[in-house]
Amino acid sequence: MTDPQAGGGAAGAFFDAHQRATIEAAMARIIPTDDQPGAREAGTIEFLDRYLSGLNFIYAKPDGSGFEKLEGKRAEAWTQRIEIIRGKYVAGIEELDRRSQSQFSAEFVKLTTEQQDRILDDMERASLQGDADSKNAQAGADSAPVEPALQQTNAEIDLDFFPLLALHTRQGFYADPIYGGNKNRAGWKLIGFAGPESMAETHAGRFTTLPFFAEQQIDWEEEKNYGSKA
Amino acid sequence: MAQKRKPDRVEVVIIGAGATGATAAKVLTERGMHVVALERGPWRKRESFGGDELANVNRYNLWPDPILNPRTLRASADEEAKINLFCPVPQMVGGGTVHWQGWLPRFTENDFKLRSIVGHVPGTTLVDWPISYADLEPYYTEVEWAFGVSGAGGVNKFEGFRSKEYPCPPLPATRYGQKFHDGCRKLGYNSFPTPMAALSRPYNGRPVTVQSAFAQQHGDPTGTRSSALSVFVPDALKTGRYDLRPDCYVHEITVDERGRCKSAVYQDVGGDFIEQEADIFILSCGAIESARLLLLSRSGRFPRGLANGSDLVGRNATFHEFSAAVGVFEDPIYAWAGGGYVAASSYQFYEHDEKRDFAGGCHIACAGVGIPLPINWSLPGRPAWGPQAKQIDRDFYNHSFAIAMVVHDMPQHDNRVELDDKVKDAWGLPVARITNKIHENELKMGRWVIDHNAEILDAAGAKNVYRVYIDRITGNCSHQHGTTRMGNDPKSSVLNKWCQSHEVDNLFVVDGGPFPTATGANPTLTMMANAWRVAAHIAGRHNADRKQ
Repeated sequence: MTDPQAGGGAAGAFFDAHQRATIEAAMARIIPTDDQPGAREAGTIEFLDRYLSGLNFIYAKPDGSGFEKLEGKRAEAWTQRIEIIRGKYVAGIEELDRRSQSQFSAEFVKLTTEQQDRILDDMERASLQGDADSKNAQAGADSAPVEPALQQTNAEIDLDFFPLLALHTRQGFYADPIYGGNKNRAGWKLIGFAGPESMAETHAGRFTTLPFFAEQQIDWEEEKNYGSKA
Repeated sequence: MAQKRKPDRVEVVIIGAGATGATAAKVLTERGMHVVALERGPWRKRESFGGDELANVNRYNLWPDPILNPRTLRASADEEAKINLFCPVPQMVGGGTVHWQGWLPRFTENDFKLRSIVGHVPGTTLVDWPISYADLEPYYTEVEWAFGVSGAGGVNKFEGFRSKEYPCPPLPATRYGQKFHDGCRKLGYNSFPTPMAALSRPYNGRPVTVQSAFAQQHGDPTGTRSSALSVFVPDALKTGRYDLRPDCYVHEITVDERGRCKSAVYQDVGGDFIEQEADIFILSCGAIESARLLLLSRSGRFPRGLANGSDLVGRNATFHEFSAAVGVFEDPIYAWAGGGYVAASSYQFYEHDEKRDFAGGCHIACAGVGIPLPINWSLPGRPAWGPQAKQIDRDFYNHSFAIAMVVHDMPQHDNRVELDDKVKDAWGLPVARITNKIHENELKMGRWVIDHNAEILDAAGAKNVYRVYIDRITGNCSHQHGTTRMGNDPKSSVLNKWCQSHEVDNLFVVDGGPFPTATGANPTLTMMANAWRVAAHIAGRHNADRKQ
């Protein structure tokens, strides 16, 4: 395997041309293009290829002037993490093609979008099944509800290929554009997030959300007359 | 390995420089004592923080990296523990207060005597606290005034006696706060502005808090939010008596021939081992890590771990599971405004009520859904991909918010923190292994409260409501308590009411570890107030000795 610190093929890139085309096509099904941009227009593949290229694009500098250089144990941990995730992508792409060949006798990138959806659906189902199996093995966890992301961060390296790809597509679509995706703020515009013009704005304390607060204040003094202890 | 000079003995060593370690440092140094603080994490300055959801929420910029700092989890002793991020807290100067939005409600008078109120709850080790609300009240006020907490005293009808109003009025209202208030009002519930570690007016030379969207789980580049890093650490440094050493990871506390703590042995950033002697040792690593350090500190005198002759260190560990009902509305809410946690609260379900089928109750408050920033926002049941997922993002991102709860987790003897026998951290030390089985009281409370939160959303005009019930303690909240519970009886507690070890008289623990119960409210204000109380006691005793 290549040294993550040095990066893969081209600078800021990990995938070869076929791998890149395959993942780009899958991402375009995860956040499809309709009358508004999807993953393809937002450049989520660029985001992911950079991420997998090594340690040079893990953390943007907080003022947006570039990227942090990782050192010490932090660098060791990220080297290990990137290596694991690369392995999942390499194997995942092979599996996409293998399933595509066996069901539709062509590589994933050559399939129609409906056929691609079928393959991704199968991959997701297999992953969810695996999840349910491992959760059922844990006492007291046999009826886990569908949870929104609450306070906890997810352990990225524990994810299977498909949920990892879905997560990275979402990250590439919605992260600050400095990471290579969310081009022209396509993601933020889609959902109406009035994000800062740049990370420098937030860093300098100029980015404020006060225009999105309530128009009227709550009269908390008056609230003292409401509600009872009973 | 290079030999470094052994540092001079000092009056007090505080292990940890987070919420409670920094509180204790401020109080002790301002009363003339000399303190060395050993903090395992870095000392990051505000310039190193930014508005970056990907780095902070998804890439462990401030959260502990699970590759370096894993924990393990199992539901019972006969299960194999698995690696899990259970209940993480940032490991750095300022600790969890660096990246919080700081909801700072007080506990109520009844929180300190819940056992007396509800009686025995089978399967639990529910007890009264050895201290009362009145013992803590002066220190609640001290912390609120040091931080410049924004709130409105007396609006919460369930609040205990208050000697002083909040120093700053409530923050401006968010749309989600207003909806929550509307819903409560329609149902006859009392609500109040969530007291917050943020400034609504200039205070002590600090400007008004900037209302960025990047707040919850983000450090504050402007330094305008209140935290241990922005308030207590600078206060302690000003005295000239606070020797704060970041990147110094304590591996062990040694004891002398009399069984008193002698030194803290730590590894510095260069990998060298250094021994720091002191008269008094204060642990403030968080309830999980303080218990772990005690268990790591084995000696002939304490073969089961320091101060653990009772085998109670690590037991009765309690947490808070964070869950919510989520509502979708016709009109825009912009729940990312202010970061999603400039909130309103209610204690309507907080006090024990015999008409319900569970003991205790909890604080509820409105918030964005999870972290309501573009990457991490979601709706329960949203598919992971495809046209429908995109449509849900587009339609509901700006039109949803949650009414959240932290479940009051009952203490149980076998819910505990131990050392894992297989998994080690990046420094070669055994990690904390958590054993946690949810009690049926939490399941019932979770269901009842989420159902009632859903009714508030309905009353506020939600067109769709989702209920996320709790089915186990996943450790999705940083709140941790109870591993070194305080009490009057050495047979059933690790610490006395001054949070001093029953077995080792120069050892104190001031994080959530001493809390005999978790209560149903966000605990950090109470942890800091308690650390203040204990530190004032230590300094008072020390200064009285010095005069004699």
